[in-house]
Amino acid sequence: MSEMPEQPLSEQPTAGQPTAGQLAAGYGRPLRFGVLLTPGGEAPEAVVERALLAEELGYDVVSLRDEPGGADPWTALSWIAARTARVRLLAGAAGNPAVAARAAAALDLLSDGRVELTPAAGPPSAQGEAIDVVRGIWATHERAPLRYDGEHHRVAGAERGPAPAHNIPIWVAGDTHPGVLRLAAAKADGWLLAPGGESTTQTPGTAAAPNDELTAAPRHAPAVAPRNAPAATPRNAPAVAPRNAPEVAPRDDLEVPRDAAAFRNELAAANALIDEAARAAGRDPREISRLAHLTGRFTAAPGGFLTGPPEQWVADLLPLVRHEALSTLILATDDPETLRRFATEVAPALRAALPTTRPGAPRSLFVRRQRREGIDYDAIPAALAASAVEPGDAAFARVRSTYLRGGSPGLVLRPGTPAEVGQAVRYARTQPVKLAVRSGGHGISGRSTNNGGIVIDVSRLNAIDVLDKDTRRIRVEPGARWSEVAAALAPHGWALTSGDHGGVGVGGLATSGGIGWFVREHGLTIDHLRAVDLVLADGSRVRADEREHAELFWGVRGAGANFGIVTAFEFEADEVGDIGFAQLVVDATDTAGFLQRWGAAMEAAPRDLTSSLIIGQARPGQPLIGQIMAVVDSGDAGTIIERLQPIAAAAPLLDHSIQILPYEAIMHVPHAVHDAQGEPVTRSGLADHLTPELSAAAGRLVASGRVYFFQVRSVGGAASDVPPDATAYAGRSANFSLVAFGPGRRALDELWDGMLGHFSGQYINFETDRRPERLLEAYPEPTLGRLRALKRRYDPDNVFRDNFNITPAEG
Amino acid sequence: MPDYGHDLLFGSFITPSNASPAQVVALAQESEAAGLDLATFQDHPYQPALLDTWTLLSYVAARTERIHLSGNVVNLPLRPPATLARAAASLDLLSGGRFELGLGAGGFWDAIEAMGGRRLTPGQAVDALSEAIDVIRGVWDAGNRSLFRLEGTYYQVDGAKRGPAPAHDVGIWLGAYKPRMLRLTGAKADGWLPSLPYLQSLDQIAESNAIIDEAAAEAGREPAAIRRLLNITGRFGGSGDRLLSGPPAQWAEQLAVLALEYGLSGYILMADESAVIRTFGEEVAPAVRELVAGERAQRAGTPEAGR
Ligand SMILES: Cc1cc2nc3c(=O)[nH]c(=O)nc-3n(C[C@H](O)[C@H](O)[C@H](O)COP(=O)(O)OP(=O)(O)OC[C@H]3O[C@@H](n4cnc5c(N)ncnc54)[C@H](O)[C@@H]3O)c2cc1C
Repeated sequence: MSEMPEQPLSEQPTAGQPTAGQLAAGYGRPLRFGVLLTPGGEAPEAVVERALLAEELGYDVVSLRDEPGGADPWTALSWIAARTARVRLLAGAAGNPAVAARAAAALDLLSDGRVELTPAAGPPSAQGEAIDVVRGIWATHERAPLRYDGEHHRVAGAERGPAPAHNIPIWVAGDTHPGVLRLAAAKADGWLLAPGGESTTQTPGTAAAPNDELTAAPRHAPAVAPRNAPAATPRNAPAVAPRNAPEVAPRDDLEVPRDAAAFRNELAAANALIDEAARAAGRDPREISRLAHLTGRFTAAPGGFLTGPPEQWVADLLPLVRHEALSTLILATDDPETLRRFATEVAPALRAALPTTRPGAPRSLFVRRQRREGIDYDAIPAALAASAVEPGDAAFARVRSTYLRGGSPGLVLRPGTPAEVGQAVRYARTQPVKLAVRSGGHGISGRSTNNGGIVIDVSRLNAIDVLDKDTRRIRVEPGARWSEVAAALAPHGWALTSGDHGGVGVGGLATSGGIGWFVREHGLTIDHLRAVDLVLADGSRVRADEREHAELFWGVRGAGANFGIVTAFEFEADEVGDIGFAQLVVDATDTAGFLQRWGAAMEAAPRDLTSSLIIGQARPGQPLIGQIMAVVDSGDAGTIIERLQPIAAAAPLLDHSIQILPYEAIMHVPHAVHDAQGEPVTRSGLADHLTPELSAAAGRLVASGRVYFFQVRSVGGAASDVPPDATAYAGRSANFSLVAFGPGRRALDELWDGMLGHFSGQYINFETDRRPERLLEAYPEPTLGRLRALKRRYDPDNVFRDNFNITPAEG
Repeated sequence: MPDYGHDLLFGSFITPSNASPAQVVALAQESEAAGLDLATFQDHPYQPALLDTWTLLSYVAARTERIHLSGNVVNLPLRPPATLARAAASLDLLSGGRFELGLGAGGFWDAIEAMGGRRLTPGQAVDALSEAIDVIRGVWDAGNRSLFRLEGTYYQVDGAKRGPAPAHDVGIWLGAYKPRMLRLTGAKADGWLPSLPYLQSLDQIAESNAIIDEAAAEAGREPAAIRRLLNITGRFGGSGDRLLSGPPAQWAEQLAVLALEYGLSGYILMADESAVIRTFGEEVAPAVRELVAGERAQRAGTPEAGR
């Protein structure tokens, strides 16, 4: 009964005012059912069982009552989160709201975005302040620490964060007191009718302030449970009651309203007040969900409101969901039979009576406020709206930036299928803002984030499959990381050379080159590519290989970012067993000599050795340190040592470690959130040899103090066996790939420009200089001409332009 | 030098980073798989890079079966004791008696105050912690039919219903360094939980033990009522005779000496790598146990079999 859980993220924005039809059906929200359970003090495992049962029965929401002497609801709900997979967790924020905000974010992160929150019971003013503090802690887009000087709550410069996994909706729980309703309309995402101001959590030691503003109680509590008394069945009620009999022992203090009509009127009045207050606050009334706690009894004979057979329940509830905008009904009971009966005999009938297609509710004012100009958010295709992230969304903190680059896009689309990638491209090309494409987010030349533009992030496409064992044919989607590819291939005794960092994504690397740990033995990553599935600039999908779209397949291998979004790569992997992995620390004071000797040793080495070096800046009082990393494709210690000796002799050895490992072990990198700031500043070039002149120039570069670090990777070998015109990666003669990272553009350019004469080409992936000359270095004629013609054919409007942009050939 | 004779505990101290929650949970599960007795997490509710420790403990407890869990240590100033007691008992019940309460008086007062917490002097913080222990034990005393009242300087409980009671005797372990905290540990706590990097020397362990023992005696308790644990850092491999920097066998010898000569019986390794956790649980822990058992047997005058 839960096709569409309530999830503000997933709701499609709809413009304009609600129609009568929408008002008539929960303001367009999907109908949801929840349970309110009682965590007993002695045996809290019982409440866990009930929660699991509720999930199994298809309920959408689990919430826990807070009772003196009972188990702590937050603890129990966190436990339940770990044991369930789908059900939403409605938690009560008790105590210090800043601490509670972080706890809610943690639970949301742990549970993959399943948390909903009600502020602790108390006067509306206190609840309102608590909401402000909670939202303030979550607002990671604000740089300044949170300060809040309220009457009830004070925060004096707390750090913000973490942002939850999704926009945790905040429901104000309370009765129909106007103060409660106005608070919900002004600050919350919904109103939970919980008579008696009953909140789901109220822990000892954090007793709520007196209900000063609530003392003007409504004339009669309209819903279900009386004030100041728990609404559900008592703990000592029979666990399973016999069928066809009143299952739930009536409780003396349980005053079930007898009059459904009066209840409906009360609700209508409350809704009208919320709608009016929402409009006054500049909000769309549909932003505010309406939820209610319910109690009742299944009895054979019809009784009062929610007392009777299931048909009567349906009859009682239908007008409320159809006409009074109630979209979440939370049944307060601990009786499994009542839970079951409601789920099987009442809920489906209510669902069936409502229209199946519902327009969805708009994103809340708090989210819309952060929107950027130039993007038509209302036009986002429905299939993409579900996972799209905009600046006001909680998930934005985790998608705005990349590994090396800070960004602030106006919209991040996260398609989950190739068809959705097509929709994303078709939508994005109509928007007059920048477009970036992202897979693993490790782009350097590839600007996979931007400021105010759109990002199409295909990281959800991350499957890795073996297509054919005999030919070692694998299919890898762009969002997979190279660490994951290595781990997936290891059990087969295979590996695919990629790069030296396991965090890098497949999409950016496999469309441009791939200088990895087996490059000298097995060539570039693109040399293993046999076919790609691609979404083109018009949103259409093609497959390109040596036969179909062969010229496109040629261009994808080296300049892929210009022609489309690859949604799947087919590679041929290599057989690789354990490898030797060495880290050598050397004295690089004689930088030029070190480079030259290491370069000569690498050129002379058998192809099973690949290595790279990195030189940083000298620390005061210490020699300049160089680090060599090397992989020998052999599990034999003797061979490994033999291969390493010549490169270890390139400079005085200070320290070393040599291990025999599976390849996947050196690629292992834990996933982390990307939150870089600023722009990386790099220059790079491909060189055939580390000549004395180039080595001397590099020595001066390092000594200038104007680079953070300087890095050389060995290439050559099998990569040079491929002719320069066989793929769009033209720099086949190079034995070395060089890159420098620096603090400042001008200083680095000045130094590097002076070295240009030493280079034979350009590997785009490490270069951030945007001057047009770089393009011709990477794609010397006739390659560039071919690429321009290809661009004209496949992307004449230059939709894909975030990475070494090739302009279409003139018609 | 004392050996209080406790069975030995080995645990992990995992950074509850919110960058990859699944990884944190996995490290706790790997701790269990490696045979460790305890998985612990620091608690700094003012630090946004960390997952809320209480939520994480509850979540991890539900994803493990055997291993015990503790905050290391729980920040009292931002976790009021009555709430904490109830939450701790709930978690102990849910987990079948697998929760221990590492507790700290608080230290980063600027950050605590920024979160809306109350700033205390170090001296006040010790008094508040002492009161908090009374509150916690009072809440746990569910068999006591009277309503719970406590008129403290820092915490007041005004006729609350007690309970729930935890499933087992939850150990209250204090992160203590200074004499007043050590005396409180001896007088009221079940364990002492300092961190090796904060100790000046091993002598400080001996001196602290003496203070704890004396305070325990004054309170009419056995010194052995207080378990001595230690958060440790170190690395496997490398060489030299530095503490906890060498092969697992060398670790084992050093930790055995700390147990037999310094009275320690719990070692919690600060580690976020599964390989390190595995080595500690599978190689170091059994070796220390064996060494300590052998020596204890000898001291008891029962020569080991086969000797
Ligand atoms: C720490 C680090 C180490 C590195 N080491 C190496 C190395 O050893 N060898 C090496 O060869 N490279 C290396 N690189 C460079 C790396 O290969 C590139 O930066 C690559 O683009 C990153 O791919 P990604 O998917 O993670 O990047 P993203 O940032 O996601 O994408 C970068 C660019 O690639 C394009 N792109 C991304 N996905 C697709 C797609 N599905 N279809 C078409 N185009 C797409 C876009 O233009 C995008 O702007 C390294 C980078 C880093 C940050």
